[in-house]
Parts: sequence; structure tokens; C-alpha cells
Amino acid sequence: MKSTLSILAVSCAMGSAAMAADRTLTISVYSFAQDEYKEALYDPFEAICGCDVVVETGNSVERMAKIEANAADPVIDMAVISTQDALTLARKDLIAPLDPAKLTNFDKLYDTAKDPIGDHMAVGYTYYASSIVYRSDLVEIDSWGDLLGEELAGQVALPNITGTQGPLTVMMLGKALDAGTDLAPVITEIGAHADDIVTFYSRSSELVQLMNQEEVIAAPVGRFAWGSFEKSSLPFAWATPKEGQAGGMNVMVMTKNNGNEDLAYQFMDYWLSTEVQTKVAQMLVDSPANKDVVVSDEIAKNLTYGADVINALNIMPAAEIVDNRAAWVEQWNTEVIQ
Amino acid sequence: MFRNRREGLALALPAAIFSTLLFLVPVAILLSEAFRSDTGFSLQGYVDFFASPLNRSVFLRTLKLGVLVAGSAAIIGYAAAFCIVNLPGKARGTVFGMVVLPLMISPVARTYAWIVILGRTGIVNDAIVGLGLSASPIRLLFTETAVFLGLLQLFLPLMIISLVSAMENIPRDVIPAARVLGASWLNVFFKVILPLTKEGLVIGGTLVFTGALTAYITPAILGGSKVLMLETLLYQKVNVSNDFVSASVIAMILIAMSFAANLVLKRIATARS
Amino acid sequence: MRHFANWGILGLTLIFLIGPFVIIILAGASAGPNLAFPPEGLSLKWYAKVFTIESFRASFVLSMALAVFGTITALVLGIPAAYALNRYDLPGAETIRTIVAAPIIVPGIIVGLALLRYVVVPMNVTVTVALFMAHTALVLPYAVRVVSSSMHNLRADMEEAAVLLGCSRMQAFTKVVLPNIRGGVLAAFILGFVTSFNQVPVSLFLSGPGVRTLPIDMLAYMEITFDPSIAALSALLAFMSLAIVFVAERLLGFSRYV
Repeated sequence: MKSTLSILAVSCAMGSAAMAADRTLTISVYSFAQDEYKEALYDPFEAICGCDVVVETGNSVERMAKIEANAADPVIDMAVISTQDALTLARKDLIAPLDPAKLTNFDKLYDTAKDPIGDHMAVGYTYYASSIVYRSDLVEIDSWGDLLGEELAGQVALPNITGTQGPLTVMMLGKALDAGTDLAPVITEIGAHADDIVTFYSRSSELVQLMNQEEVIAAPVGRFAWGSFEKSSLPFAWATPKEGQAGGMNVMVMTKNNGNEDLAYQFMDYWLSTEVQTKVAQMLVDSPANKDVVVSDEIAKNLTYGADVINALNIMPAAEIVDNRAAWVEQWNTEVIQ
Repeated sequence: MFRNRREGLALALPAAIFSTLLFLVPVAILLSEAFRSDTGFSLQGYVDFFASPLNRSVFLRTLKLGVLVAGSAAIIGYAAAFCIVNLPGKARGTVFGMVVLPLMISPVARTYAWIVILGRTGIVNDAIVGLGLSASPIRLLFTETAVFLGLLQLFLPLMIISLVSAMENIPRDVIPAARVLGASWLNVFFKVILPLTKEGLVIGGTLVFTGALTAYITPAILGGSKVLMLETLLYQKVNVSNDFVSASVIAMILIAMSFAANLVLKRIATARS
Repeated sequence: MRHFANWGILGLTLIFLIGPFVIIILAGASAGPNLAFPPEGLSLKWYAKVFTIESFRASFVLSMALAVFGTITALVLGIPAAYALNRYDLPGAETIRTIVAAPIIVPGIIVGLALLRYVVVPMNVTVTVALFMAHTALVLPYAVRVVSSSMHNLRADMEEAAVLLGCSRMQAFTKVVLPNIRGGVLAAFILGFVTSFNQVPVSLFLSGPGVRTLPIDMLAYMEITFDPSIAALSALLAFMSLAIVFVAERLLGFSRYV
């Protein structure tokens, strides 16, 4: 019994050690590139604000579940997530509208990043294009329709409908098949080809592995994963399909009634500043949403960079995804997975 | 048997109370969502769940793979455990250590190893093509076979450990005695070994079957979204559709399946002895 | 002849069980950027990289603490329970057995979610404590069942004889029962330790800012990149566990009891 008590005491001590500093900002971010963010963003910000930045990472679903579970007494002050996840949180009344006046860098943002989901519930901090990665020595890709073609049968992977990339791929396949705005017939068409598709992946790192071991020779993927393909010794290429590239945006949100709004605004504003956005872009971590960022051609080539590129992206409105996702998943489960 | 019940309860209750308060109560609250509706108690969640053909096929696949994995583990487990207990002391420790070893490795890493092994350019396909069994590599990843292998590799050690620790308690001279008296090996197994190791088989079988049902990483990675199992479906319900009712229904089904497996195994064990 | 068959069966079983491990060790020693077998050239750079990843160090300490303290707590609760269930004619023994065994059959993700929604949040419990609770509860079934199984075959009359010969009940327990179930306890500890250390689904929801178990951290790392450092880390962890088993064997004669 004594040992039980001392163990509890130890674990309590471990729990509270992290809460030692006076002012603490707790943020929830994607797990990727944490070393780079630490150098370009967290450490400099800690020096400026004299506070501690506590970082929670994980995939967006877990992070959202935690924000929801802790709604009464928010642990997280600000989070970065996808537009559709932000909209889901907004509809559940878990996040607060942002006041652009408190963000000095707001006017420097591309217009689509200023109020991506309406009511100023979120602000975009990075864009990404989405296209098809393929083995240039084995196939030639110039349309999204090629994904369901003869040539790739048995060697193609698609993103799962449940992830961020899935709806984008279905949308672009719809364009290739001239299906209009209703995606149901497109999902039916994917279902008809289900046997030709190796898997419906949910993590881009998984796809990188599959493509490196030649299980898959073409698949749609977000530009943020391109770096992993480029490092490979195999000849991978980034397609420029005739229907164009799909695209998405990640946004910042403020949890409701977190009591730490001032610090959170200060942090958001710092992240959107030309200085930080440039640093993060040069590390090839995030493509900038700040128009004033200037990078070399060499860097730009690896990012989703510049007004021309960003304005040409086919971005799916968050509301469309949130409103239809349940129906898509249902149809996908019956027609594609079975 | 000691008769002082109060003393016995004082020893057993702390564990039961701990499990109840810190584990069963929160889980029960969550599971009760599977029976809740606007009007009070409802079984609609279950009706809806089994109305979907996808859910039905996922349920059957999970049951099938669970039984296959547990059955294969029992067969291999008995053979291996029997060999292990017959080894001389030193070799026995080494071999037992090697059986335990895979349990030490994170399931995440073990599953990823199978991606490399079963891939189109992996050693299994190299062997198949090399031996002329197939002209071109066959697709093994994202099939039920891959999930079966992954799960078996993951949980076989639990079966072997349970059986070894049950078999060590068989008095050393029983089996030779039965053999000398003219019993065939099959007879020895069913009349001597099985009755004396039933506890181990029940424990091992339940552990393996339940493990196979509730494993998440293996079906997620080796089966992907094309070979959904109940646990991956449950994950999808929580994570993607935020559908806690369906998730609770699936959890109830999984729990019921584990209980049923435990009962069936106990029944088999007692029927044989 | 029988010897040969024995080793044949064991050999095949061990290849099936250990093969993937060998592949992981070698894949971790690859000079190339991807997880591959055979590896693209040999190098120890991925093994070296593991130690440079800061978050792995913190999550390793947390996982280690959870596994050790959680398992010890489970044994402190579990051994008396196993003993009582075997030696006493308890009212509701079957119920107690079921309750204690329950954590094993509840899908981990439900456990994590339930604890987060109904314990951590409303009761303001820290994530670390919730993790400790969850891991102890998860290990408890192993503690009770494995210890119970090794007690099951130990004849009660030896202990009764000890009592008749003048030992107190406690003495009878420590002198007769404990030495005989030592192997079971050790097996339960090792099983519990690895169960806790490798636990993924329960911990998935039970992580907080700066508090994350090692497997969750590894999973998070793998969401970003598939480089061989995860293979290297897994191999190192396995060697660590192997060392624990080896020491257990040396100190207590593990194999004599298991």
C-alpha cells in the first residue's frame, strides 16, 4: 500500500512539473516538422513573450476529440487544423471568432486565407497543392482520369475518403469524368474499379513506403509529402494534370473561453508575420499564406507558392465536405470497400 | 480451501474495486450510449448496425479471422510448448526467451516488418517468383492473408507462454507412463495433456482471440481500408464520423464476442475432461 | 528422431516469430532513406539518430515509469486476489474474476475515450494519473490470471500442512506459496511490463501537451516519415527488454519456473 501511495505521489509530481512556468501558451499542432517549428517559431516566441509554449501534437482527429472533451475547461489555447475540421469545431461551438484587428499581419494574407470558413472563425496560415505522384520511368500521368485507367490497374493507391485528401481526389476525378458537382456517381465509378486499387491509404508516410517498394506506382498526395518522395533514389515525378491541381489550406483557431486569448493572438500574429512565414517556407515546412514572403526559385519549386499557383488551386469549400462527409463515407463503405 | 470468507474478500476486493471504479464504471457509461435514445432505452443502434451489409461482412470477417488465428495459435502453440517443456533446462530458457522476445517489440514495428516482407518486392514474393509458383509477384498486402499472418505472429507467443506454464505442472512421469501403458499420442493428448492444460488453453485462447479482435494497428496497416475489421471500423466511427452510438455498439459486440469465446473455450475444456 | 522433429517444429515457429525482428534490426541498419529489406547498404546512422530525437527521451521515461509502477501496483493488487480466488470459497468469486479480467476484453480505444470523457475531464485528473490508472487496470488481468494459473497447480495441502506444523498463515504464504509461484509472478511482471510498454489504443486519447507514451510518439513520428529510425528504435527497445529477461533468468532462474 505504501508503495502505491508513493507511486501516486510520483505520478502526480510528474503531472504538475509541466505546469511550472508563470505564463503558458498551450498549442495543438500537426506532429510534423517539430524540430523546425521549434527553431523558427516556438523558441523565438518564448523569448519575445517570456512565456512557455507547450506543444501538443497528434493527428487532427485525436486533437479535435480532446478539444471537445475539454470544452468546459480548455487545455488548448489555439490549434492549427484543416478548414473542414475548423468548421466542425465551429459548428459545435468550441472555437471563438477571431478579431482581425488583433492580428497586425492580417492584411498581408492572401484573400482566401483571411476568412476561409466564414464568421472569422479561422485564419489560414498555409496552402498546399494536391496532385498525383508517379514513377516517371513506368507511367505517364496527365489527367486525374488516368488513376482509374487500364495502365495503372493493380498498381495505384487512392487516399481514403475519411482523410483530408480523399474528397479532393474524388472532386478531381469528378472533373476528369465530367460528373459535375455531385460526387455520388464518382464514388460509384471508383467502386467499379475497387479491385484495381491496391489500397486506400490514410497516411502519406504509408504511401511513401508503398511507392518505394513498388507496391504502388501512382497515387494522389498533398504537396507537403513531396519532400519524402524527392529524397528517394527512385524517379518520382509530380503530375500537372490537365484538370489542374486540387488544393487545401490549414488554419488557426482559438478555443472558446480559454482565458488566454491575448497570448494566443500574439502567437498567431507572430506565426503569420513575414519573418516567421519566410523562415518556415525556407525550411520547406509550410507554404506561406503571407503575400509578402519572398523566396528563391529553388525553394518556390518545392512549395505551393505565389498568387498564380494559389489562385489556380481547386479548393473544396469546407462546408461542402462537412455537410456531405457522412453520406460519402456511407456510400464509400457500401460501394467501394465491399 | 480456507473457510474464512472475510479474510478472502479482504484479499480479493482491492483488485476488484480498483477495476470497477477506475475502469468498468467509465467504460459502462460510454457503452450505455449504445442503448440510449431520445426516448430512453433503445436497441435501435444494434438494429441499424446489422442492417448495413458492410457492417455484417466486417462482423463475419472479424469472427472468422479471430477463430482462425486462435485455432492456428492453439495447434502451433501445443506443438511448440510440448517441445519447449521437453528441452533440457538451459536450452529451454533460451528458447522460451526467444518466444517471449517478439512481445517485447512494439506491435507497430512488427507490423511494419510485414509490409516489407509481404510487399511486391519482398522476400515472400521473391521466393514465389523464384520457385516458379507464379510468373509475376502476387498481391499479398491488404488482403486477409496478410492480416491473418500479422495477427498470428503478434499473439502466438501469448498462447505458447500460457501453454508452457500450464504444461510445466504436468508431473514429469505422467506422459511416459501413459505411453508405456500403450496409449497412442493422440490419446495421450486428449486424455492426459488437454485435461491438465485446459486452464492454459482457456487463458491462451481467450488472450489470442480477444487480442485478434481488438488489435488495431495490424488490421489498419496490413489490411488497410479494404480489409476492415470491427476494431478498425470502430476507430473510423469515433474518429471520422464522431458516431459514438455506433462505436459503443461495436464495442459491445466485441466484448460479447470475447465473453462468448471464453465461455466456449471453458466448455470445450470441461467437456473433454 | 523425436529430437529432430522437436527442433524442426521449434525452428519453424521461431523463424516465424523472430524473422520479422531480424528484418527490423537490419532495416534499421540501412544506409538508405527507406525501410527496406535487404537494406540498401549498411550503416548505423539511424541507430544514432534515435538518440538525437528529443521527444523520444521524454516519452521513453514516461513509458518506462508507467510500465514499472503500473505493473508493480497491479501485482500488489493482483497477487492477493489470485491467492484468495484459489484458496477461499468466496461468495461471488466468479464475479470478482470477471471484473478483474474485464479490462482485457474491452477495446482499448473505448477505454481511452471513456477515461478521457468521464474521468480526466470531469474530475480534473491529470493525464499522467489517468495513464497510470489505465495501465494498472490493463495489467491487472495478466497479474491475476498468470499468478492464478501457477497457483492452481500448487497443492493446497502443503500450505495446510505448514499451518498445522505451526506456521502462521502469513509464514505459510511466504514460505510455501510465494517460492512456488515466483516464476508465475515474474512471468506476470514481464507480460504486464510489455503490455503496458507497447500499449497503443488506450494511450491514444490519453496524451496531453508534453505527456505522451513512447509508442504514441513513435506512431506520431511515423505519420510524418517512414525512415528507418523507427526500426532502429524498435530494435533497441527489444534489446533492452531482452536484457531484462536475461537478468531475470540469471537472478531468479526464470526458465525453471515458467
